[in-house]
Amino acid sequence: MNRSISWMKYMALAAVLVLVLSGCGAAGNSNSAVQASGGEQSAGQTEGGNLTYALATSPDTLDPHRSGLAVTVRAIRTIYDNLVVQLPDGSIKPWLAKEWSVSEDGKSYTFKLREDVKFHDGTPFNAEAVKFNLDRVIDPATKAANSLALIRPYSSSEVIDEYTIKVNLEQPSQAFLGNLSQALLGIVSPAAAKKYGDQLGKNPVGTGPYTFVKWDENADIVVAKNKDYSWAPATVENEGAPHIDTITFKIVPEEATRIGSVQSKQVLAAETVPPQNIAALKNDPNQQLLQANTVGLPYTLFFNLRKAPWDDVKVRQAVQSAVDVESIVKTLYLGNYERAWSALSPGILGYNASLEGSINPDINKANQLLDEQGWIKGADGIRVKDGKKLTLHYVDGSPNREKRNDIAAIIQQQLKQVGIAVEVEITKDVATVIYQNWDYDLYGNSQVNSDPNALYAFYHTSAEGERPTLSGLSDPKIDKLLEQGAVETDPDKRVDIYNQIQQYLIEQAVILPIYVFPYTVAASKSVQGIKFDSLGYPLFNDVRIQP
Amino acid sequence: MVQTILTRLATSLLVILGASVLVYCIMYLLPGDPVLLMLDPSSATPEMIQNLRVQLGLDQPFYIQFANYFGDMLRGDFGKSMINSDPVLPKILEHFPATLALTALSSIIAITIGITLGVLSAIHRNGVIDFIARLVGLFGISMPTFWTGILLILLFSVQLGWFPAMGSDGFSSLVLPAATLGLVGAGFIVRMVRNSMLEVVNEPFIVALRAKGLSQRTIMYGHALRNALIPAVTVIGMLIGDLLAGTVMVETVFSRQGIGRIIADALMAKDLPVVQGVVFFTAMIYVVLNLLVDISYAYIDPRVRRAVRT
Repeated sequence: MNRSISWMKYMALAAVLVLVLSGCGAAGNSNSAVQASGGEQSAGQTEGGNLTYALATSPDTLDPHRSGLAVTVRAIRTIYDNLVVQLPDGSIKPWLAKEWSVSEDGKSYTFKLREDVKFHDGTPFNAEAVKFNLDRVIDPATKAANSLALIRPYSSSEVIDEYTIKVNLEQPSQAFLGNLSQALLGIVSPAAAKKYGDQLGKNPVGTGPYTFVKWDENADIVVAKNKDYSWAPATVENEGAPHIDTITFKIVPEEATRIGSVQSKQVLAAETVPPQNIAALKNDPNQQLLQANTVGLPYTLFFNLRKAPWDDVKVRQAVQSAVDVESIVKTLYLGNYERAWSALSPGILGYNASLEGSINPDINKANQLLDEQGWIKGADGIRVKDGKKLTLHYVDGSPNREKRNDIAAIIQQQLKQVGIAVEVEITKDVATVIYQNWDYDLYGNSQVNSDPNALYAFYHTSAEGERPTLSGLSDPKIDKLLEQGAVETDPDKRVDIYNQIQQYLIEQAVILPIYVFPYTVAASKSVQGIKFDSLGYPLFNDVRIQP
Repeated sequence: MVQTILTRLATSLLVILGASVLVYCIMYLLPGDPVLLMLDPSSATPEMIQNLRVQLGLDQPFYIQFANYFGDMLRGDFGKSMINSDPVLPKILEHFPATLALTALSSIIAITIGITLGVLSAIHRNGVIDFIARLVGLFGISMPTFWTGILLILLFSVQLGWFPAMGSDGFSSLVLPAATLGLVGAGFIVRMVRNSMLEVVNEPFIVALRAKGLSQRTIMYGHALRNALIPAVTVIGMLIGDLLAGTVMVETVFSRQGIGRIIADALMAKDLPVVQGVVFFTAMIYVVLNLLVDISYAYIDPRVRRAVRT
């Protein structure tokens, strides 16, 4: 008896101590807030300084042609430039290429290149360098990753003169020019690529606004201002060398630590803010929250149309009506993520805005559709047909990235109401389960892309011997539209083609689009000028740090 | 003594070999294809996949892959990372000092807090110090390391601003991760030392010493502690091994460099050569630690020394 009383006494004492300590800390914070906002007003146009920027995961390599990760693009955007740049409205503008012309058959592009550009190692940028780069991506020895998909249908290039190059395609492609603007097709120094071979990723040399300084694995990547830079793209204001001296990309995988290190001012900016921290950051007088919606394919759940009963459009539509996407997105992301309505995300050419609000949850309709198809509820509430239970094998390949595991759990609950049993399998080994064994009924994926042609790889009937698509859709009508969309030169007609495709995918319930991923950055108020390109990747040309 | 150490060394070599064989087999048998993890599954063509497989020698049967790997390892070549072609051994050697520094400081914290609190709590049984010591013990053992780490970051970096929340530059960035691991270690040591001290105190030789009129201080620190330390040393030896392994979590939470991060990344990516290399390396350290623990017994306890001699 006595002992338990003394226990409680000590516990109370400990609790008071913790409260006092955290109280002190909070008071200290609000003091510094006043100082920070005071400093902001008096500051003018500053030069110099080091931007520390916390990344959520580590880049795999700084060789753009060999990388398969979006996080890499945040770092390599600073080191490499591209031939062209894409503006948020989808239009293509000059960058390292001054101008270009397209042949009448749409199969070759002739680029006139800038003559004043030098790589960081001092070697000149010219038509030979461009040819070397394009050929390097399709060379199997390069082990190119995502860049290979972007460069298709490239076949060869011819150097016309020192600053003119003709690029030939196997067939016309409306996506090709836009893809040339993507960082994974950044132009590397041929001299460096030959010198370092497969170690170029550790010794990157480009023509970009920042030059590579060092990469301590799992710790940080440092780049420094390229003083000679004067060929910035139209996406930024500053045409010349960056205002700041260096950027240090710190690799901080643990989200609490990443946010903690911005709040403790150990870093000036940190990417991918968890939804639960967004509200707090918005109210923090020391911090600002920057947000850019990524474009391409939103996070989408694909039905595996090759497996019964999901080859039946009515059954898919029943699931479509039973899943309340709105409440999933609101519950999990607290209003910070936008709900997706279509196979494409808003902001991309041809996005079909008329689909917004088109699908709403309707349990009665779902039940009716399933009844019609002969799936009758059994004693345990699960529907049965011909002695087979209606089960849906839901596969998720991420360790709860962006709370995707929670989406699975909620859908499991929602579908139970209409008598569908959902078996959730969470595995990192997507390569085997999804791409090798095709062992799923529903599987989610997303893709960053600037062109609606991205739909081709997901919905066009896959050719013999090629990897089948995620949906397994095979409809001659859609195949034809996708083929037309790839080559159509009239923008209005192209928009119409992709509108039709998106309409079909929703009407036929081939997919359940869930959310549009916003790229979020928490930054100290002293950091100004972080911009985002048309895909939602950060640009650091205009950054200034107020002292 | 020399012969014992030599025998121990020989068995240690077997342990290291066994460990690498085992890991090789497990990694080989795990489902999943490293080539598909290296290339983006949605864009790579079957032809690309096949080329890469041949290049990496993954099209060969298991025993040939295994023999190749072992032959190279015996020549000191641990191979290259499949992901970014980094040579494995230099990578480990480059990152090991950071992990070693973390382990060293956390061991010092664990041993200092552990032994001090353990002894004091045994002496002042059921007093205030005993209560605190047991609380520390319970906390250290039951809290997951990442949780302790995040709590320390919230308190000491975000609220108080005393130490950096992450990174591996300099001593100040070492404090919080070492404290996180040190608390876990201290938890184990406190309980161990306290229990064995309490056991020793009731042994006849302590009673005899008391009867001879020695002071409480001399009895406790001169005689009881020395005897109580033997089981503690075993725990500490194993603990340093655990701390080395525990760095996987702590290095991730605090974004530190080190071999824990290397192996975590390599496992995710199924980067066989790197996983093998790190396992081989850590197995070696475990074995050496065990050897040191055995030798230290002999110095602390004369009975062990005598047994070894005969």
